[in-house]
Parts: sequence; structure tokens; C-alpha cells
Amino acid sequence: MPQGDYIEEHIKEHGHRLDHFERLRKKEAREPHKKSQIVKRTRGMKAKLLNKQNFVDKVQQRKKIAALSQKKVDRRMEQPLVEGSVPPYLLDRQAASSAKVLSNTIKEKRKEKAGKWEVPLPKVRPVADEETFKVIYTGKRKKKQWKRMVTKVTFVGDGFTRKPPKYERFIRPMGLRFKKAHVTHPELKATFCLDIIGVKKNPQSSLYSSLGVITKGTIIEVNVSEFGLVTNTGKVVWGKYAQVTNNPENDGCINAVLLV
Amino acid sequence: MVTYNLKKIQTVPGAKELIDIVLSKTQRKTPTVIHRHYAISRIRQFYMRKIKFAQQTFHDKLSQILQDFPKVDEIHPFYADLLNVLYDRDHYKLALGQLSKARSLIDNLSKEYLRLLKYGDSLYRCKMLKRAAVGRMCTIVKRLASSFGYLERVRQHMARLPSIDPHMRCLIIAGYPNVGKSSFMNLITRANVDVQPYPFTTKSLYVGHMDYRYLRWQVIDTPGILDKPLEERNTIEMQSITALAHLRATILFFLDPSEHCGFSWEQQIGLFHSLEPLFVEKPLLIVCNKTDLPWQSQVEEQLNALVRQESNHSNSLDKPVLADGWMKMSTLEKTGVVEVRNTACDLLLSQRVESKVKGPRAQSILNRLHVAVPASMTHTSCDDQKEEESQGLCRPFIPESVWKKKQENKTMEEEEKEPSEEDHRKDSQKILEKDLEMAHGGAGVYSSDWNKHYLLRDDSWKYDIMPEIVEGHNILDFIDTDIDERLAALEEEEVAREAMSENDEMEGLDEESQQRLQRIRDKKVLLIRGRSKQRNPIGANKMTKAHPKSSQEWRKQWLEMGMDKERVDMTTKQILSHRSQSREPSKPRSQSRSTSTYRWNQTKAEAGKGFVNHQQKQKALHLARKT
Repeated sequence: MPQGDYIEEHIKEHGHRLDHFERLRKKEAREPHKKSQIVKRTRGMKAKLLNKQNFVDKVQQRKKIAALSQKKVDRRMEQPLVEGSVPPYLLDRQAASSAKVLSNTIKEKRKEKAGKWEVPLPKVRPVADEETFKVIYTGKRKKKQWKRMVTKVTFVGDGFTRKPPKYERFIRPMGLRFKKAHVTHPELKATFCLDIIGVKKNPQSSLYSSLGVITKGTIIEVNVSEFGLVTNTGKVVWGKYAQVTNNPENDGCINAVLLV
Repeated sequence: MVTYNLKKIQTVPGAKELIDIVLSKTQRKTPTVIHRHYAISRIRQFYMRKIKFAQQTFHDKLSQILQDFPKVDEIHPFYADLLNVLYDRDHYKLALGQLSKARSLIDNLSKEYLRLLKYGDSLYRCKMLKRAAVGRMCTIVKRLASSFGYLERVRQHMARLPSIDPHMRCLIIAGYPNVGKSSFMNLITRANVDVQPYPFTTKSLYVGHMDYRYLRWQVIDTPGILDKPLEERNTIEMQSITALAHLRATILFFLDPSEHCGFSWEQQIGLFHSLEPLFVEKPLLIVCNKTDLPWQSQVEEQLNALVRQESNHSNSLDKPVLADGWMKMSTLEKTGVVEVRNTACDLLLSQRVESKVKGPRAQSILNRLHVAVPASMTHTSCDDQKEEESQGLCRPFIPESVWKKKQENKTMEEEEKEPSEEDHRKDSQKILEKDLEMAHGGAGVYSSDWNKHYLLRDDSWKYDIMPEIVEGHNILDFIDTDIDERLAALEEEEVAREAMSENDEMEGLDEESQQRLQRIRDKKVLLIRGRSKQRNPIGANKMTKAHPKSSQEWRKQWLEMGMDKERVDMTTKQILSHRSQSREPSKPRSQSRSTSTYRWNQTKAEAGKGFVNHQQKQKALHLARKT
């Protein structure tokens, strides 16, 4: 017991007060009443949060009660039969179901064929040009309206230099340029922050694709050299496609799913 | 000096709690009402403020924690090592590092989202951005949950560490378990350390305070140490090792020669040798406790071997470290306890003073110091003092006459040793007013006689009655203390002046005229006296003039004085004519004033008489007529 534990020291020397445990019991007994008072009094957001918490607690409690009230049964008998399992006396026979293997391969091939053009987000909300492009008034009297500013997230390659103002129709502002995307590998169930190589296709229009505008559903190419994937011929795969699954202009980041 | 406020660290909130605090604070302290049709710049500003506020609050909270916790690299090595032993230095640094990283992440995040918000073109988009920003901040903090938990536990433990000042005068008690370290601690300080008859009762450092030589000392009781290699020592033992290694203090190494503690004498000596590197350059005292129990015989020889002798004082590196002494003590019978304490304290004090004198700071002070030593005084007058002259003492100066008298008194006393004590007392002692009071009935009855202490020219005046008021006049108003002196001075002055004036007038005249002048003066005096008697029989009135006399009187006087008869007649006649003229009715005052200066014998002013000559007169008349 360290030197500063005054409370413990005191209890050790003098013990508890006579009605200590009685008081403790009463305090515990009062607890639900107090809680209900609080629940009654809370309003708004706080009440919502509290109710949610209470609900979770209740569920836990019920589960616990259910677990405790279950009778102790021998669980071994209840285990469900696994498909293809054989009784012990047949274990030594190698009954490889070749038919099954065949059917599996066919299934996979079909899937591959179909899945080549299949993407996680097959449909996207159409985006109007007015939403994407903001008109910039130019000229001495600010009456020319040929210039546009892209208000969506864009990808601009490394070697890009802006054109002279006279010829620059579309401005892609620095603040909205992104270089990285959070890409989820659907099989690994893991997310990586990868470099964007380019915008493959924006489903909205080809103009968007050429400008590098990234909206929900856009197919982008990401650098996966970190994964160390190798093709059948032994080359290192470094570019792979991924589809954007969120609205980057609203979330401030690009989330995508890798197309395997 | 760095102060260690380990007790004042604020509580570290849990991750969830911190998020709740920040979010509700943001909600409370920023505006909450916004509408779609507001100007877009206003909407942007509204959400920017929210993001910035949340970020700032997170930043402040994390900074507070980072600032409160001591940095292992900056504190005293004793505390640094103690933190390492108790909480694992790496874990501690990692936890704080995570916090600081999270803080910078949150700062960057908010910067990024503020930039994006500048391009927000609708309320919905701005709101979504704000939501994302705050959400990401919360996620970052949520990941710190384990660090927060660890830091909170560390904080609670640190607050209960004994507050040891590493720079203070200090005694450290070390030794095997169960040799009586804690009972010694309880005897010399008021620290209430738990004492039990089994080993490892003390599991952490304890600190107590005591006074010695009017100085404050701290005593540190350490857990018992076993003789093991350093790597195998557990946390409890490592605490004592830390204290031994880093604190500059006297080490009291406790031994139990009776082996009552459960460890053999050889084991205990072995521990002493294995701890030797920690004892370098520190005062070390071996204390043999439990003298009330029987000892083995060869113990004392071994102890003497451990103690440094005067001859082999040179402390070279290859030689084993030796103790400064060994002492016996019994905490059960309480014998030798105080001696042990005093010896230990003295050892440390002398060492500290020595190191201070050696240090560079002392030299700079010593250079500025000058201690003045008084030159030896020579007293030739008296014999006794000559002996002390050699000691360089300065005796007070006693004049020769006083010295002689003193000697006489001495001899007198020696002669008169026989007479009874009372007589002696009478002679020597003065009768005080108090004694008188006692003799005449005590306080309240006896009233003391003030008059007898008056200081007057004549002692017989002491009891004279002196009225304060006579005939309604306060006597004090008429008292002039130095009236006699002043009168004497005045008289002197008068005599001197008279002599002077007589001499002056006499000087220029021949003998005959001198006699005449003398006669005139004497006569004058006689006349004055006679006249004053005639006129004012009561007393002489000095202010009355002797001047106006009758013309006959003047005539007689002048003739007596030897004036020519003709001249006397003429002058008398002149006086008479003057008088007749003066009896004429005088002119009105205003007119007389208009003429030139007033003279008592001035003739009557006539018209035209004020002019200098006739021409002036004519001119004036002419002018008058003209106007």
C-alpha cells in the first residue's frame, strides 16, 4: 500500500462506520429511481442518446438472463450435420466429387464473363452541368460568360500546366484537386489509401472524363504497386480500376471499391 | 529548479467522454440557426466556425494533457527512472506521442476541410462537409481510448507517489527485507510506515521528514532488496535501486547480524558487495540492527574490514568502496537510534559543504569575501589584560583612575570580609523607594515624597510653600528666570555709555572749560531733581521737560555761566518778542500748510511775499490778470 492511500489507510485503522453497508445497500436500491428521474427530465438530443444507451443495456441484460436461464444440455448431440461428412467407417475412402469441381469452374467462368463489366454501383444519379460548372463572369464589365469553374472534386495529372486565361475555358481550382483515394479491397475487406493515376470514365459524360471530374460512380485508376500483385506472365500489376462509392465533394475524401 | 507537480495533473477524460465534451461545447458555443436562403458566404462562415471551434477545443484538451504530464527526458533522473520502473518508459512515451500525433492530425484535418468549405455552393454541401470533418476528428480521438485509459491510471498513481525532493538533504535506508528498516524510519520520523514481522512489508518508497541541527531532512524508506542480478529484480526492488542510484544522500545500509530476518550473514554481506557501484561518492554508514539478540563472534572483524580506515583514505577506483563507519543499534529497545541518525546527518552535511567549497560557484563567492581580523590591542595600563593580549582579544578601555579605584575596592572587600552579611548589604545596597514603601505600610498606604528629589540651589528651599496665584495673578506669568542677569547687563551698559559720552565732550576742551562743563552738568542734575520734586511730589517724572523756563530764570542762569551781559539781554528780548508774536491768533491750519515747510518761528505769510524777485512777481500778476 503506497504512502498516499489515505482512504485505505484510514479504513484499515478505524474500519467502516457502523451503518456503512446499510447505506450502501440503500444507495443501490435508490439507483433505478434516480435513473428514471433523469430519463424523465432529459429532452432533445440528449434524450435520444440516453434512450439508445438504455436500449442497448436492456438488450445485453436480456441476453444475459436468457443465457443464464438456459438449461445445461449436452451440446454435442445438437450439432448440425455438415454436408459431405461421412461416418467414421467410411473415412478412408477418397470419394472426390469431380462433378462438383466441374460445376464450380463453370460457374466461376460464367461469373467472370459477366463480371467483367459489372460494377458495384451500376446506376448513378445524373448530375446537371449547372451543378458542376459555375459560370465565371469575365471581361471589363463582367458581362462575358464563357468561362466555367468546376465545383466538383477533380483529378489533375502531375505534369499539368494551366493554359493562359484567354484560352482557359474550364478552371479546376487547386482546393478541389485530389491525389489520393481510400480504396477498399472487396475480398480482403481492407481499405488502403492509394494514389490516383487517372480518371478512366465518368458515367455522366465524356467531358467530365476528360476534365478528370470525380463524382459518385466514376471509374478511376489507382496505383496498387504496394499490393505486389503479379500477372500470369509475371509482370507486376501497378494500375487497377476502382469505382468511387461516395460523393467526394460532400465528404471531403474519395472512397472507392477496387474492381477485381 | 524544476518543480514536480505530479499531484496537480488534471484528470484525463476517456475518449468517449472527451468527444461528448467537445461536441456539446461546440453546440453550446456556436450559433445554431441557419437557413437555406441565407447568403452563401454566411452559410460557409457558419459551418467554418463550427469546424474551427471543434478543432480548437480538441487541441486545447490534448495540449493540456501533454503539458501536465512530466516529460521523462526533462525531469530529474531519479524521477525519470522511477517512472520507467513503475509505468514503463516506452509505454508512457508512446501514449503521450499518440496524443501529440492526434493533435496535429486534427489540426491538419480542420485546415483541409476549411479549404474545401470555401467551394461549398449549397447549405447541404457545407453541412455535409462539416459533418464529415467533425466526424473524422471524433474518430481520431476514439482511437486514443487505450492511451487515455493508461494515462489516467498513471496519473492516479503518480498523485500518490511520495513527494521526494531530489535536491534536499536526505537519508536513504536500504538493506535486506525484514532487517528493521521501517521500524527505524518510524522511530526517527513521523511517517507512519507499516511494520510487520514478515519480509516485504514495504512495497514502495516511503518518505518521512525530521529536523536535525535546525535543518529539514527527508528520510526515504526503501523496500528490501535481495541479492540478485539487476535484470532479475522486480519492480519493488527496482524502486529502491533507483533511489540509491540517483539521490545524493547518506546511505544507511542495514544488516542483521543475528540472522533473525531469515537471511544469512553471508547473503547480507554479499548484497553489500553487489550494490557497491551505487555507493560511490556517497556517505555510507553500516548499521547493525537487533543488538538485543545474540550475535556471532566473527561479525565485528568482518565489519571492520568493510570500514574505511584513516590510513588507506585514498579512494582509488580499483579499490572496493568502503563505508564511513559502522554502528550498533536496536530499534526494539530503542538504543543507539539517535546516535545513528546524528552520525549519518553529520556525514552528509560535511560532504555537502566540502563539495560546495570545491565547486566553481563557491570560488566566485570566496573571491568577493574579505574576513576582517582585528589587530591585537595593547593595554599597557593594566596587568591582567596583558595576558589576554596574546589571544588577540579586544578588551574595553578602562581609564586608569577607574581601574585604580576598582583595585582599591577589591582590597577593601578582602579586608572587610569578616563583618556580618547584613551590614555588608546595607553598605552596598541603596535604599530604594520600594523599600521605603514596604517599610511604611506597603502600596496604597505610603505616599512617596517627591520634594526631596528637587534640584535646588539651596536644600532648605525644598519644602518652601510656593503660591500659584496671588491677588488674581498667576505667578508663572511674572516669572522671568534670568531677570538678574539681564538687569546686571543693562546697568553695566549704562555705566559704560555714560563714561563714553563724558569723555567725548571733554576731549576737545581746555581745563577751564572742562571744569565749567562739569559744573553745568552737575547743576543740571540738581535742577532736574529739584523741579521734579516741586511738580510731582510723588515721584520723579522723567518725561516732564525741563525746557520752558521764564526769561528771568534763563537770564540768571546764563549770567551765572559767564555769558556776556549784552548777549544775554539780546537773547532774552528775542525770546520775549517771539512769545508776543506767537500769542497772535494763528491762521487756519490749511493755509499755513499750503506754504513751505512748517517752522514754529515762521513769520506771517503775505500776498506777493512768496516770490523770489520783483520780475517773478510781475510776471505772476500778469498771468493772473490774463486768465
